[in-house]
Amino acid sequence: MSKRTWNHPAVPADETTVAWRSTGQLEDTTEFRHWLEREFPQGAAEMADGEDAEVSRRSFLKLMGASTALAGLGMAACRRPERYIVPYAKAPEWVIPGNAVYYASSMPRSQGATPLVVTSFEGRPTKLAPNHLHPEADGTDAFAQASVLDLYAPSRSRHVLKGGKKAAKADFEPVLAALAAEPAAKIGFLVGCDDSPTRARLRKELSAKYGAAKFYQYEPLVGEAAAALGDGVRLVADFAKADRILSLDCDFAGTDPQGPVAPFFERRKPEGKGYEAKPDADKMNRLYSVETAYTLTGGMADHRLRMAPSQVLNAAAQIARGIISNLDLVSSIPLLTDDNQMKWFKGVIDDLMAHKGRCLVLAGSRQPAAVHHVALAMNLALGNIGEGKPLVAVKTETTGLGSLATLVADINSGAVETLVTLTPANPLHDALPGLMFGEAFAKLKTSIHLGSRADATAHAATWHLPAAHYLESWSDTRSSLGTYTVVQPMILPLYPAAVSEFELLLALLSEKGELLTGEGAKGEPSPAYTAVRTTFGALAGEGEESWKKLLRNGFHEGSAYPLVVPKLATTTADEIAAAKAVAPTVGSLEIVFATDASVYDGRWIDNGWLQEAPDPVSKLTWDNAALVAPKTAKELGIYDLIIDPEPVTKVLGIEGKYGKVSPDGEGENRRAPMIAVTVNGRTLEIPVLISFGQAENTLVIPLGYGQGFDEEDELKRGPRKASHVGLVGINRGFDAYPLRDAKSPYFATGGKVEKTGKVYSVALTQEHSAMYGRALAREVSTMTHTTILHEEETFEQQLAKVKLQGNDAHAPPNISLYKQKGSAKWNPTKDGKAPDFLTDELHQWAMSIDLSACMGCNACLVACQAENNIPIVGKQQVAKGREMHWIRMDRYYATQKDNTVDADNPAFVPQPVACLQCELAPCETVCPVNATVHTEDGLNAMAYNRCIGTRYCANNCPYKTRRFNFFDYNKRNPLVAHNLYKGPLGEKTVGEAVHLQRNPNVTVRMRGVMEKCTYCVQRLKDSVIRQKRGQKQEALVAGKPSTEMEVTTATLRIPVDSVKTACQDACPAGAIAFGNLLDQEKSTMGRAKQLERCYDLLNYIGTRPRTSYLARVKNPNKEMPDAPYIGKATINMV
Amino acid sequence: MANIFPRWSNLLPLKIALCVLSVAAGVMLAFSYYATPKSLVVGYQPSQPMPFSHKIHVDQVGMDCRYCHSFVDVAGHSNVPSGNTCWNCHQHVQKESPKLAALRKSMDPAFPGYDGKPVEWVRIHKAPDYVKFNHSAHVNRGMSCQSCHGRVDQMETVFQDQNLSMGWCLDCHRNPEQNVRPLEEVYNLKYDAAQYIKDHPEEMAAMNVKTPEDLGLKLKEQFKLAPKTTCATCHH
Repeated sequence: MSKRTWNHPAVPADETTVAWRSTGQLEDTTEFRHWLEREFPQGAAEMADGEDAEVSRRSFLKLMGASTALAGLGMAACRRPERYIVPYAKAPEWVIPGNAVYYASSMPRSQGATPLVVTSFEGRPTKLAPNHLHPEADGTDAFAQASVLDLYAPSRSRHVLKGGKKAAKADFEPVLAALAAEPAAKIGFLVGCDDSPTRARLRKELSAKYGAAKFYQYEPLVGEAAAALGDGVRLVADFAKADRILSLDCDFAGTDPQGPVAPFFERRKPEGKGYEAKPDADKMNRLYSVETAYTLTGGMADHRLRMAPSQVLNAAAQIARGIISNLDLVSSIPLLTDDNQMKWFKGVIDDLMAHKGRCLVLAGSRQPAAVHHVALAMNLALGNIGEGKPLVAVKTETTGLGSLATLVADINSGAVETLVTLTPANPLHDALPGLMFGEAFAKLKTSIHLGSRADATAHAATWHLPAAHYLESWSDTRSSLGTYTVVQPMILPLYPAAVSEFELLLALLSEKGELLTGEGAKGEPSPAYTAVRTTFGALAGEGEESWKKLLRNGFHEGSAYPLVVPKLATTTADEIAAAKAVAPTVGSLEIVFATDASVYDGRWIDNGWLQEAPDPVSKLTWDNAALVAPKTAKELGIYDLIIDPEPVTKVLGIEGKYGKVSPDGEGENRRAPMIAVTVNGRTLEIPVLISFGQAENTLVIPLGYGQGFDEEDELKRGPRKASHVGLVGINRGFDAYPLRDAKSPYFATGGKVEKTGKVYSVALTQEHSAMYGRALAREVSTMTHTTILHEEETFEQQLAKVKLQGNDAHAPPNISLYKQKGSAKWNPTKDGKAPDFLTDELHQWAMSIDLSACMGCNACLVACQAENNIPIVGKQQVAKGREMHWIRMDRYYATQKDNTVDADNPAFVPQPVACLQCELAPCETVCPVNATVHTEDGLNAMAYNRCIGTRYCANNCPYKTRRFNFFDYNKRNPLVAHNLYKGPLGEKTVGEAVHLQRNPNVTVRMRGVMEKCTYCVQRLKDSVIRQKRGQKQEALVAGKPSTEMEVTTATLRIPVDSVKTACQDACPAGAIAFGNLLDQEKSTMGRAKQLERCYDLLNYIGTRPRTSYLARVKNPNKEMPDAPYIGKATINMV
Repeated sequence: MANIFPRWSNLLPLKIALCVLSVAAGVMLAFSYYATPKSLVVGYQPSQPMPFSHKIHVDQVGMDCRYCHSFVDVAGHSNVPSGNTCWNCHQHVQKESPKLAALRKSMDPAFPGYDGKPVEWVRIHKAPDYVKFNHSAHVNRGMSCQSCHGRVDQMETVFQDQNLSMGWCLDCHRNPEQNVRPLEEVYNLKYDAAQYIKDHPEEMAAMNVKTPEDLGLKLKEQFKLAPKTTCATCHH
């Protein structure tokens, strides 16, 4: 029998959509074709790599053979070792060994806390999920999901440092005591930008005790909105009420939150949140976005305009001219003249004016105050602000705090001699260079730094104290609208030296300056607990009941911030005039200092999950790189370098361009060219990548990287500041903070670029797991489109055709030659016949993923990693295509061939793909050992202990969703250089704590084992078993003997929508619905499956996947010039 | 020249080969029997830090399994009692017995050598780490402790009664009627199906149950027992 190769039919000639994943695909390089055709690039399955070749397969086998023989001699391994059961001596309340306990807590953040439910196994917090009870319930983002890893991180600071050197806590205590005894001390406190009621209260007490005390707040990326709105005033959006949204460089769904974002995504679904209504385009919102490079928000936009950040003000002013009455405000800003742009603005103006009081204009936090003034003027003119309106202005408690600039001035003037640094930022690394913060910091008599990392600031400070994680300390915080939200400790600090912020402040307030950490003094409640309870008592009244309710729910109802009415300042027009800038050119580029999706402002640099999560847009892991639009790259003369970085190879000693594939495969040999970026008089050498949909003449550089280097650094930058970061963050990326300037902290003009001739290896996942196929991601538009055959197609007609897109229109339905039956010989039924598969009459699991809501963030990916004990593999392994993420986020670009408006502004189409649990799974039929089999309830199960690692299954998976453990990533630390290749001689995972994060209900896989998504089978089993326990309860309630009791389907089937997979739970967009197919339309997933826009991925190959997708719906405005090209981004991969 | 080797030696190589082969086969057989769960673990009876007698506590005192293994019906693990469970009674009963030294060391601050550390019991029933066995799923559906652990109430020192191999699990998952019993009888280790039928004549007649086999089949049908046999049932 010959092997059947599926030949995808040619894309029809009338297809206007061009789709691609990477520059390589667009240019059709050999490298990309290899990624598409193979599971891994050439040579990826081989072990040796260059300098590690000395440990060859042969010597490894010799070594292993000898050690096995020796071990066998004693036969000691044949009797099992004695193991112990160690029960508690005194059992703690609520702890049932083996069962998780769930606590409500929250993660404090500068834009408002993220309310959480923490899963805790025998006192170990292992997983975070959003708290859906909270009035501002939202999903979680990747940062929140990954924050649990920081608790156990090996790089976590665990010792007191004195002048950067290890010291004992006892050495620090006298310093604190002396400070507490000196009320005249010129003391300053530098706090973060999150709001904490207890901190606000302690601030007053500290001011009372220390007459000269001063308070400052600082985080590098909080932006300039407050400058426009006034001290402590913040605008919070309610997306449920917004029919039209204009985003002016505001990534509100990603790194620049403006309020709970879940309602925004609910309104991206034409059928409503739970798919209960008929599809109705009028119920959808419409998003206009003006931005520089693609952000997740821009990817969701119905209409998107590319603009350099300095030009966003011009766009804002142009739109404002059609909306506000006081035109003097923006008279200083030049008129725009581009025809298409003017049509675009007119469309936006008309749409906003038609939705007065029901629309939103959002300005990005990192835009200058002038843009915020214009946005505020528009919102006021449109009547969008106020109670019951889409936007409210709230007054927070973080008022009266100085900035970093005033702190520097106060240190220089001698008003502050002792500084207590409590901010989560790292000002010695990320403060604006012009402030000379480092110099001022060195002038301090005493500086005390509290932080979870021994970073640059920790090393520069006189004293560094390791901070307790937020899951280890009592605190309180406020969500974006100000709801009082508690932070509960799940565990005592893992390290005895760890101190929480309040513990330190309370020690200063105490008479003797005694530092009580963790449980506090014997027989007394811990001081931080008492402090939080006192604050809460003043807010909600003393008493057990309200306190217990707070601990149970995690928040206190009705405690939101007071609303204020914002006004435009009188000087606004001058401020706006001062902010105008000329458009960038190739010779004078605009450099954008972007928030990074993996490290934020640099604080997450030591978080392995985030580092390995590919950037949602560039798909770069483990590093940052400068991003540039293809056209600008061509004009700068660097395009050819990027797409073919090493064109010259040697054949028979003669150099030449013989082929585009580098000698031994591609993967790990991928290099990006380095460029030298000069701006504000400073230069940075950084690799450069192509970014589609970016404004021309701009260069985007994510911040936060380049914090420390050692001898292993590829560019020989080390050793420098090596102790500032751990194994994860060392040698990672390039530090763009020094390029900034006080005038323009978030973007700078006048940038120059030069080629350097150097290259740098990049681990890009954008080409990994590339699939062939027709209509992978499908898109329709609410607008009536004219097809290529000049036929009008309404929204309804387009919806009806979703299932026919791509190949599915002419592929006949698949009829399997094989009966869906088991074996009559080996596993017969009672009457000797072959049993049916999928026999479970109670549960048949399935999932639907709504591409209309999915924005492509990494929340699901990181949540899956936390839930399923997925290891990180390190940069080199990622480059080889060996990343282990069970759910991958495919990101496609698509443009229309006939697009005359802006062909360089392609659509951004994300598509999460995990194992689709095919009913006729190609992987199952090829496994020689039956390690992957189908379960009765429709899962494609993986028995890890049976897998022998042939990798046939992964080879046969058309969706490329299987992951293979090439090494023992869990046991051998992949971050130690060359460690994986040393086999049993390699260093074991560093740090004693990482394994404490593991989910006890999921097997930790070893080397040589295939793994993949199983719909969180451990959660499914748990919920089914819990339901079964109910049988006994029913018997007890009925009071009848169990022999007379009636057990029905209702007794044994879990309630509708009562179990959630980890990805579904984390998703802030509600894009994933999961449930029991047998619940039919009672479950959200069941309703989704019945929609017209529901389709199966690669339906025509007949795998019958259980996960199906809902086509993305775009809601364009037909007055806009680009409207005919919107909603056609159906992805074909050929 | 006379033959050096006598005639009978012609068959010697064959005989030697046969002998070697049969010895090798014998060793193989013996080893594989030795390595089966049946011989490896059944009867495993390690000595414990305290000579705790289930016979005294269950058979003579009449305690229920769930007094000590209190979470067996609500959790996957059946917990071994924490020190304070033992101490509830033993701070009053037999406190001075030298057999209780390990417990007092853990619980009694007045005891010389008190360290407050938990007692380390030697594990007897051990499923591999990749097997997720859930006690609550079984005891709440009519599977008794006794089916897997044997007559613990008769054991002075606990030993492993069944081999707990995968084949053994599957035997019951395919034919649960062999072991299912009324929910009230799950923790009754003395349960005898025939006796139960005799003791409940009316109910059994109503259910048309005459033999223990009938009872098993009837309960399986009534409880809607459909134990699964695919991998993910236990391995995930």
